[in-house]
Amino acid sequence: MKRKSISYAKWGYIFIAPFFIVFLVCTFYPLLSTFYNSLFENYWDASTFSQVGPNFVGLGNFKKLFTADAKGNVDILTYTANTMIMWIAGAIPQLAFSLLLAVIFTSTSLNVKGQTFFKTVIYLPNLIMAAAFAMLFFTLFSNVGPINQIISGGVSDKIVDFFNNVVTSRGIIAFINFLMWFGNTTIMLMAGIMGIDQSLLEAAAIDGATSGQVFRKITLPLLSPILVYVIITSLIGGFQMYDVPQVITSGLGNPNRSTMTLIMYLNRFLGTTKNYGMAGAVSVLVFIITGILSFGVYRSIVSGRSDPKPKKSKSKGVL
Amino acid sequence: MKNFKRNLALLSALALAGTMLAGCGDNTTTTTDDAATTTAAADAAADAAADNGDAAASDDAAADTTTAEAASADAASAGTGITLSDTEGKVFNIYAWNEEFKGFFEKYYTVPEGVTVNWVINPSDGGVYQQKLDEALSGQDAAAADDKIDMFLAEADYIAKYTNAAVTMDVTSIGVQPLDTEYDYTISAASSSDGTLKGVSFQCCPSGLIYRRSIAEAVLGTSDPAEVQEQLSDWTKFDEVAAKAKEAGYLMTPSYAETYRPFANNITTDWVDADGNFQVDDQVKAWIKQAKNYVDNGYTLTGGVWSDEKSAEMGKDGKAMCFFGPAWYYNFCMGPAWDEETGSKGDWALIEGPAAHFWGGTWLLAATGTDNPEMVADVMNAFTANEDICSKLVSEENQFSNNTAVNQKFADDASYGNELLGGQNDTAVFVELAKNIKFRSTPYGQVFNEDVPGCFVDYFTGSITEAEAWANVDKVLDEKCPSITHDCSGYAAE
Repeated sequence: MKRKSISYAKWGYIFIAPFFIVFLVCTFYPLLSTFYNSLFENYWDASTFSQVGPNFVGLGNFKKLFTADAKGNVDILTYTANTMIMWIAGAIPQLAFSLLLAVIFTSTSLNVKGQTFFKTVIYLPNLIMAAAFAMLFFTLFSNVGPINQIISGGVSDKIVDFFNNVVTSRGIIAFINFLMWFGNTTIMLMAGIMGIDQSLLEAAAIDGATSGQVFRKITLPLLSPILVYVIITSLIGGFQMYDVPQVITSGLGNPNRSTMTLIMYLNRFLGTTKNYGMAGAVSVLVFIITGILSFGVYRSIVSGRSDPKPKKSKSKGVL
Repeated sequence: MKNFKRNLALLSALALAGTMLAGCGDNTTTTTDDAATTTAAADAAADAAADNGDAAASDDAAADTTTAEAASADAASAGTGITLSDTEGKVFNIYAWNEEFKGFFEKYYTVPEGVTVNWVINPSDGGVYQQKLDEALSGQDAAAADDKIDMFLAEADYIAKYTNAAVTMDVTSIGVQPLDTEYDYTISAASSSDGTLKGVSFQCCPSGLIYRRSIAEAVLGTSDPAEVQEQLSDWTKFDEVAAKAKEAGYLMTPSYAETYRPFANNITTDWVDADGNFQVDDQVKAWIKQAKNYVDNGYTLTGGVWSDEKSAEMGKDGKAMCFFGPAWYYNFCMGPAWDEETGSKGDWALIEGPAAHFWGGTWLLAATGTDNPEMVADVMNAFTANEDICSKLVSEENQFSNNTAVNQKFADDASYGNELLGGQNDTAVFVELAKNIKFRSTPYGQVFNEDVPGCFVDYFTGSITEAEAWANVDKVLDEKCPSITHDCSGYAAE
């Protein structure tokens, strides 16, 4: 007698179903509806107390976004640049600092004591709400705040108007993001480094490699999958930068809109007017830009570093 | 130890969850309980069953016209705990953007028995209040009787948006009549463009120049109101004194935006013309010129009109001489000045200043579809016609009431004086200033009076040119006022 074979495959599908259901309802549907909304003129007109639209306008909203002003500037590109500048200014030191900390903490020769304590401490800033962090820094650096009291008390007779200066206001925002996220990145990178086979490092050391060489030739290449993950998540997070600059500048992106990020710009269309069409168009652009950049980062790191097989690669990596 | 760790983990998880929810704190709903909640709920259910849709609402209106005359007759005793008819709802919903009126309401208004007052407060910043209010008003028809907005507050800048819309109702039909004792502009502001009265204001907001006596003494050689007024009676003189103040080591104003209202309230062209085009009056341009001059010369500070930097100038060691504000300003904005230790109580005086103007003002509007028309009328009458309540607003809250008889009474009372102003009878000054109010309101008023001037901060501090600031105005209008056409590229002075 032949027994029927039992397939457990359906259990696999059942177990992964919750994720797909949640994904479809909470991510995929809103995504499609954003695309759909971006094609309509649809807002609340306060002057007549009535809804305008939704009227189909095709790519009209996108056209409006890319219309240059009198001086030939396209605002949406300025805001994209603002977002990228503030992200990079926060992400590069964050990556460098986290990498350094991760190497120190995982180094067998240094054998740092009290690791759990330090890991907890560096992760703590991430537990504080970004808005609270932003308020704190706003108070610290305001014209009547403690930093300026110190400055006017001894260093100089004039106060420094931190939030009326492009470099300092962007710098403060980048610094807050750095402070909030370096702990998270450190822990990711530590996990990555600890996943590297110690015997490789020992072998290199026996062969006479300096610790710098070990880091550059062994640790970094083997760390690249984690690095890709860290950079891409940081990039996506960076492009969604909103709460810190929003709170610090009361949503105005001052000075002269130099700290206006894409999502803050999107938010300006919501509020009283509820301009879903324009806000949808900005969202779609953020989606496209983030998608392209993430893909770019992925390709450049994956094809440039951790592809041991000499496959004929069609595209040349950037790095 | 293990237990300790577990507890610690639990605690931190709770703290995390707590902070996540803390962000939702914008919308505060507080309830004043005047009846046991259980009876209120039971009544509410019965009420909802009775008040079924529009048919019942029109019944209400019919019933109200008969009571209207009776109501206006005893308007003077409104707010003393009236007995409501059975058709009235048991929950009274009020939308507001701060606690100011709530304070007066809870102190002076006697809530009719069995009614629960529900305050929904959203901050005004960035138009949040209007956004939430518009959403709620749009859903008014579908809301259950006890969830319907009964009354909401609207500010001078944008009241026109609501008075001209169908979401506010004619209050003369429920027993609120325009009174001779109310200031005319408060009545016209609360009326639609065809003259239908939609609500009342509990205050009148002529605004004056509030100066620091000790600084005036140092700069002008006198602190007497009449003599100071003489030296600050127009903008040319004001600018000259600003230079003198600087020489003497003082600031003329505490914020670049301090003189905005005195200029902007004297505009002679509307912000938006009949065809929906944005236009800027010369008064606003004059303000931009003055503010730039003041910042460049160090006559003022670069913080906004609500900034901490400005508030600090009201303290004991403040250097700023001139503030502009109406009666609500003392309580609402001059907090630091009141402090016995670190403040400057008594060192102030009120005069008209270089230009007659008003600032703000809060109106109470009746929402269409309210299930509490009698109470709406009672609240409105209480804060305009009830002389007892109006008197308390003046004597206990330093307000300038919307009742000419009451205000005149205090103006004529030689023994009445304001402690903050060193005993000066400010009501007497406001009575004169109230005669010159030129009221204007436009649906996008909050954007025009807050966001548009805000675009010029960067110009004043020197980081952009005036033309760039005007370009930023265009951007703000694109974002916030999609239905108006605008082109500010030609407005820059250079």
